[in-house]
Amino acid sequence: MTESLVEMRNITMTFPGVVALDDVTLESRAGEVHAVVGENGAGKSTLMKILAGVYQPDRGEILLRGQPVRISSPHEAQRLGISIIYQELNLLPDLTVAENVFLGREPRGAFGLIDASTLEDEARQVLRRLGVEIDPRARLGRLSVAQQQMVEIAKALSLNAQIVIMDEPSAALGGKDLDRLFEVIAALKKNNVAVIYISHRLAEVFQIADRVTVFKDGQVVGTFKVSEIDRPSLVRMMIGRTLSETFPPRGKGYGEEVLRVEGLCCGERLKDVSLRVHRGEIVGLAGLVGAGRTELAEAIFGARSIAGGSVWIMGEEVRVGSPRLARRHKLAFLTEDRNKGGLVLGLSVRENAALPSLDRRERWGFVDRKAEDGAVGAIVRELRIRTPSLAQEVEYLSGGTRQKVVLAKWLISLPELLIFDEPTRGIDVGAKAEIWQLMRQLAEAGKGILMISSELPEIVGMSDRILVMHRGCIVGELPGETATEEKVMMLATYGETHGE
Amino acid sequence: MASESARRSRLRSWWQRLWDEERELLTIYAILGALFLIGMIFLPTFRSPRNLFNVLRQAVALGLVSVGQTLAVLVGGIDLSVGSTISLVGVYTTGLMAQYSGLGAVSLIVLGMIAIALIIGLVNSFVITRLRVAPFIATMGVGAIIQGFVLLYAKRPGGAIAPGWDYFAEGMIGPVPFPVIFLLLLVALAYLFLRKTAAGRHVAATGGSEIIARLSGIQTGRVTAYAFMISAFTAALTGLYLTSRMGAGDPLMGGLNYERYDLDSVTAVLLGGTRLGGGKGGVVGTLAGVLLVSVLNNLFNLAGINPYIQWIVKGVIVVSAVAIYASRRSGETK
Repeated sequence: MTESLVEMRNITMTFPGVVALDDVTLESRAGEVHAVVGENGAGKSTLMKILAGVYQPDRGEILLRGQPVRISSPHEAQRLGISIIYQELNLLPDLTVAENVFLGREPRGAFGLIDASTLEDEARQVLRRLGVEIDPRARLGRLSVAQQQMVEIAKALSLNAQIVIMDEPSAALGGKDLDRLFEVIAALKKNNVAVIYISHRLAEVFQIADRVTVFKDGQVVGTFKVSEIDRPSLVRMMIGRTLSETFPPRGKGYGEEVLRVEGLCCGERLKDVSLRVHRGEIVGLAGLVGAGRTELAEAIFGARSIAGGSVWIMGEEVRVGSPRLARRHKLAFLTEDRNKGGLVLGLSVRENAALPSLDRRERWGFVDRKAEDGAVGAIVRELRIRTPSLAQEVEYLSGGTRQKVVLAKWLISLPELLIFDEPTRGIDVGAKAEIWQLMRQLAEAGKGILMISSELPEIVGMSDRILVMHRGCIVGELPGETATEEKVMMLATYGETHGE
Repeated sequence: MASESARRSRLRSWWQRLWDEERELLTIYAILGALFLIGMIFLPTFRSPRNLFNVLRQAVALGLVSVGQTLAVLVGGIDLSVGSTISLVGVYTTGLMAQYSGLGAVSLIVLGMIAIALIIGLVNSFVITRLRVAPFIATMGVGAIIQGFVLLYAKRPGGAIAPGWDYFAEGMIGPVPFPVIFLLLLVALAYLFLRKTAAGRHVAATGGSEIIARLSGIQTGRVTAYAFMISAFTAALTGLYLTSRMGAGDPLMGGLNYERYDLDSVTAVLLGGTRLGGGKGGVVGTLAGVLLVSVLNNLFNLAGINPYIQWIVKGVIVVSAVAIYASRRSGETK
């Protein structure tokens, strides 16, 4: 029995309104690959960021080789021999590959000056360990995403850390690069490094990990030897929860087609995606983070340029080149991040709701305030938006109310198809039920709805039809009536084996 | 023949690479060269050595402060307090030199001014990184506070300089004015700092993305402090240089009255291709930006062009240069 190299004990961490981690304990041993799995938002990345010094936990302690340590900054984490590959790329496009790899730890020569040749040589060596052909002198911005991901891995390896955390390093990799990553992990293991490996792909877990810890809703379900557990039980543990939420009853049949997408392609992100949405129907789009769901929505809405394929709206082929055109074609897109892409926080409810349709209430080039009050007032009553007045700045409203304001803003321009990206993320349970109710009412009023969600109960409870995406492809379709969270999760994680 | 064509294609790819990497630098130096040639050909008064040295002497005042401004912009900020810092240094230096003019006293005064400047830089970075005030506002506010202190101390031009202090501006080393060599040395030092030291690299990295730099283990607060301290330091050098050149101090010498060194230095930095918002650029480009502004001023004056037209032309140049750089950048990301 090897002893633990690092131990995180009873870690609790809250963000405003959310308990991200609730009394979590995790230990990792030298020469062991410890996989961490769980649904989106289960708290895996948060825990890793605590270990990397990005966040400070509210409670709990971290032991390194049995000694309690305080990891106050990323700088401190590096000093303690902890390196991390973040889920998002953390590289500077204007620097060269070598400069990126050693950013913050440049080798010094005479007079404390950077030793450029050593810098290049060492970067070349690390890249060779990874077995990739990348010129260390190349500007990072000129590399492909997969190459950049390899540079990110090289950066973490170059620290020669005792503990290496990998947060979904495989998301942008495939084929040979993935094999090389696994070889490197095997080599790290041989060198007695503790590897913590986060992945959504269960196949990878069984391929490389020794032990696996399952996260669910900010808590640890359990830690198991990989040799003593099978995939279906892992999946069960990842999602097993009580269905406390209440969903409105499903729709009764649907009408004509509102949206048809055929063979949509967009580089590596979307591969030959086809789908249909009808009037009166809520189509759920499930999949893991990075599966291409948001990209698909953006492509349909004209916010992302497409390489091929066609979009048909109400039976007519359209070229949606920009969000402005999409609006004219009666599309609405409620983005994932309400505060960044949906609302101007400093403006009032009235101004936010009226923003996209201002030009329709202009007289002599001035906004007709009376018409605005009428339009916004009516929709605020219809959606039962709880605001003291129309002049209330939205930054002081709750998450659920904000989401309703976003909905109001789009409904004023009378869309026929609404795309919801994570409609209830970060909203409390009561408000969630209200949003679901509104979505169902819209469908019953003849609108088509495409709903992206990472929350499985929501997908299963709301959708009339469920499409599951995996790595840019739609890998399966399930009728909402008979779908279960297990079936959706199987498709989303297995992808290749079951879907194609 | 085959080797000849190989050589040519190698030359082309070398040129292509250089162009890809250093577009801004090549552009600004080409414009500077063209302007210089126009002056040499069409204006006989321009090409006299006396006039050329005069252009350079003028360039030094703006050049010194612009070196530091480059770092402030590169780290993702902007330093609008340099004008007041110049005034402060100018007024206190001449005020003190009027009473104490021994060699020891002068050294102490110079060191004292530099220390004050470093403190100003520290205060700027404290307000920016700890109090989280945007650099534009932070340095504008600190600048206003400094200017207030300056005007409390001196309401009108005055003071004097120690004998021999005029060497800074008027001295010659062989045929070359001392201040020109001083500026070139400072540019070379700053270039070395930015390119060859870890701290310098971290300035650009922090400007490129504060979060990524921090996650890479860089102590970004400290790096920001370096940048703003260097900015204030070179502003102090401009202040000292101006006292040497004018022989007196003026509470408005850094701004308001004559040239506005705060805005002019930002102009020179941006003309030199350093990205507003940070992350990319350097002092070699800034040097070209400074020379461009100085040569332009000189040509206009020699040609007797109405100063208001000069304003218009300068405004057009700044806006178009930055627009050209910006359009190229978005082209790259697509």
